[in-house]
Amino acid sequence: MLELTNLESGYELLQVLWGVSLRVDEGEFVALLGPNGAGKTTTLRTIAGFLSPIRGDVTFQGRSIGDAAPSAVSRMGIGFVSETLNLFPAMTVHENLLVGAYAVKDKRQIAATRDLVFELFPRLHERRDQLAGTLSGGERKMLAIGRGLMPSPSLLLVDEPSLGLAPMATLATFAALKALRERGVTILLVEQNVNTTLHLVDRAYVLEQGRIVLEGTGTELLGNSHVQEAYLGI
Amino acid sequence: MANPSVANAPTSPIEADRDATRRHRAALLLVLGIAIVLPFVPPFTGQDYQRWLVGAALLAAMAVAFDFTAGYINVVNFGFAAFVGLGGYTSGLLAVDLGVSPWIGIFVGAALAGFVGLLTGMLTLRLRGIYAAVMAWFVGLAVMGLVRNLPDITRGSLGLNVPLLLDTSDNLPYYYVILGMLVVTLVVLTVVIRSYIGLAFRAIGQNLQAARASGINPTRYLVLNFALSSAFAGWLGGFYAHYYGILTPDVMLTSRTVEVLAVAYIGGRGSLWGPAVIAFPLSIAVELLRTQFANLPGLYLVLYGLLLIVVMIYRPGGVAAAARSVDEWIARRRRPEPVETPRAT
Amino acid sequence: MTTATNLRTVPLVRRYLTFTWLVLGLAVLIMIVAAIAQPSIVVDTLVTGGMWALLAGGLALIFGVMNIPNFAHGELFLIGSLVGFTVFSPIQDAILENPDAALLKVVGPFPGMIAAALVGAAVGVGLEVLLFRPLRKRSRDQWVMNTFLLTAGVSVLLVNMDRLVIGNDFRGITRYWDVPPIRLLDVSISVDRAMVFIIALITIALFSLFLQRTRVGRAMRAVAQDEAGAQMAGIDLKRIFMLTIGLSSGLASLAGAALLFMFPSYPDVGLQPLYLAWYVVILAGLGNVQGAIAGAFIVSLLQTLTVFYVGVGWVDVLPTGFIILILLFKPSGLFGSAVKGIWEQ
Repeated sequence: MLELTNLESGYELLQVLWGVSLRVDEGEFVALLGPNGAGKTTTLRTIAGFLSPIRGDVTFQGRSIGDAAPSAVSRMGIGFVSETLNLFPAMTVHENLLVGAYAVKDKRQIAATRDLVFELFPRLHERRDQLAGTLSGGERKMLAIGRGLMPSPSLLLVDEPSLGLAPMATLATFAALKALRERGVTILLVEQNVNTTLHLVDRAYVLEQGRIVLEGTGTELLGNSHVQEAYLGI
Repeated sequence: MANPSVANAPTSPIEADRDATRRHRAALLLVLGIAIVLPFVPPFTGQDYQRWLVGAALLAAMAVAFDFTAGYINVVNFGFAAFVGLGGYTSGLLAVDLGVSPWIGIFVGAALAGFVGLLTGMLTLRLRGIYAAVMAWFVGLAVMGLVRNLPDITRGSLGLNVPLLLDTSDNLPYYYVILGMLVVTLVVLTVVIRSYIGLAFRAIGQNLQAARASGINPTRYLVLNFALSSAFAGWLGGFYAHYYGILTPDVMLTSRTVEVLAVAYIGGRGSLWGPAVIAFPLSIAVELLRTQFANLPGLYLVLYGLLLIVVMIYRPGGVAAAARSVDEWIARRRRPEPVETPRAT
Repeated sequence: MTTATNLRTVPLVRRYLTFTWLVLGLAVLIMIVAAIAQPSIVVDTLVTGGMWALLAGGLALIFGVMNIPNFAHGELFLIGSLVGFTVFSPIQDAILENPDAALLKVVGPFPGMIAAALVGAAVGVGLEVLLFRPLRKRSRDQWVMNTFLLTAGVSVLLVNMDRLVIGNDFRGITRYWDVPPIRLLDVSISVDRAMVFIIALITIALFSLFLQRTRVGRAMRAVAQDEAGAQMAGIDLKRIFMLTIGLSSGLASLAGAALLFMFPSYPDVGLQPLYLAWYVVILAGLGNVQGAIAGAFIVSLLQTLTVFYVGVGWVDVLPTGFIILILLFKPSGLFGSAVKGIWEQ
């Protein structure tokens, strides 16, 4: 479904990715792990269209999307929940969701997805008419994921959902991702919380200094000595 | 073996720097030399051309003072013309009502313009740059409104007749006076920019937050810069008053500010000398256009507008940036090619 | 949980709104007193206030969504007045020839206004495509200040193009609707003024509804609040930018055409509307559209009171003083919270 081949990318004066290849199949839950500064966020930002590849390519459902604008990528069915969330603080929860469904024309479909989001995150339903800027950290994360779901994407990119969350809120977020996966949404998750993530996902890649160094199923990687040493502290 | 033209070429980076400074100083002195002898070269010997030269030098000096804020702390003083007018009216009224010599009056005008600049800066420069620009504009409009509405003092739109600076109406002596004022403006402001204060200005202009984080109190420097620039505006306004001999509130029009602004940006923001140099060909060209196409009012302003737009989009460094790349090209030519050691085969 | 959030939001709301309510309350109080003492003040305030609201609302919108402090907003007013005059003149002649054509008399003024809004919108889109888009592509450093200067260039260009191509004279009409004035509570109100007020009200209502309730209006607000977030939701920035500048420019041109009977078209006609719109936007808080609409009536009241009790020349002086006062107490403007001043930190 999504495939990166020898992707090199980065910022004007700083190349971050040096040949990243990875693959996410339909219905899979894949994680991209690695230390700070390895290029995880850069990878997601490149897929989402906020950065253009220097070399290599990104293909989605067989089409190259390397040079597509972020809005075009979103319209092709890739949802992106960024680290900074990028919510609309002066809009209500409900309005944030409606903007998320900007590309959807069918009113009934919008209502149905909205109900689904409220079902996944009942807290958002309670806060329906509250301004996004006044939500708590966990609620903001839920809203960002909810907004990402509104166009019914076939692939959801999620960047560090556990960042800055209390343990309870982190668990709730992961539970929501798991529930999504069971509903058939393909997910590419970037995380630093390696232990929990590996127990949750089908497969994972380990990214270090802009290159993929390891790849395998969750269980395989849990047993890998490099992962144990560098990330699990065993 | 050695090319004679690069015989004294610099070899170390420090020497290359010294070489560059020497070259720049030489270039500026050359330009100054040209400016000094220009009135003796036809067609500049005519009174019309000499009057235009005075106008050009005045515009050059104003653009330098304007660039001092716009190019370094990134605050555009949209009320610039009002500060020019404030200095002019102060000096003019002192001369008319109290008989104060214009030579003293223009400095009092400078002080007052600087003081109003200080107040405006203190009120507005704590806010985001665009607020300061717009508020300076409002203050300028208010000052202009005051001058218009106090005809008992300023004679309002009728115009205030002001004694001349010199006992002659010959343009040549005035030209050397304003050329001297231009050099003083350029030298003083360059010295400030080269000092540690100037470093703070640039730091603030480029990144306010970072400057604050590194322990600079931005507001103090912003206000200092703004007040200094306003004082120079007032000083030059004094010259304006005592050269043309008549003042109307129109000297404070926003379009006057935009004219100075356009020269500053076409010359190259953040260089000081760029606006000073470009003002001459630009305003001579404008005056020629004005006389050639007297039946087409506004033509020269259309060109100003177009030039400003093109510079803002495609050549943000203006003429100064172009000159800099020429300079780098010369520096490269003067630097000896790295010697390649022949490889033994 | 709900009470906890309330505890967090309530003081916030109170802190932001008390001062604003104070000013608004004062404004309403003055209006009531004025309504008893001098009813025409109320009429003047509402008529011009409605049109300033269109101008200032558009100015706030383009700053909020595109971060462009549009200095050429007044020139869209100029374009509107020019188009309005050009379209209405032949219609007026037709009305004079057939004084019995009642329908023509009633609907005659509208084609000019509609054409003005459309032409204004097209010019706005043209500016986006020809100027802002290339600049955005090249660099977004110092975007706000650079676009301010760029639009200053556009303003000079358009004003003098008008002078060059159309000419320096006044093109105006005495009235749109040639019918006797309405008498209301002892005040006689010309039909033109009443209609202008109604047109303004309807346009403001439609404009607010569009921003609040429609999909595209929401997308505009989304872009203003978080550009990246809007792109993630599949919103095409290019399209939203074109719509925004088109809408903003169209509103300014509509105002220019609707006020043709008060402001005849000539090159500098945009100047006063420009700074009035800026007074309003600074007073209300940059980028705050609803605030700008409310602020327009406050500025209009201030203006009317100044003209009535002090004199027409003071119209620029007093509002400036008032705005400086407001900014001392609330640096982010009456309704703004996006800009942090030193007092809030």
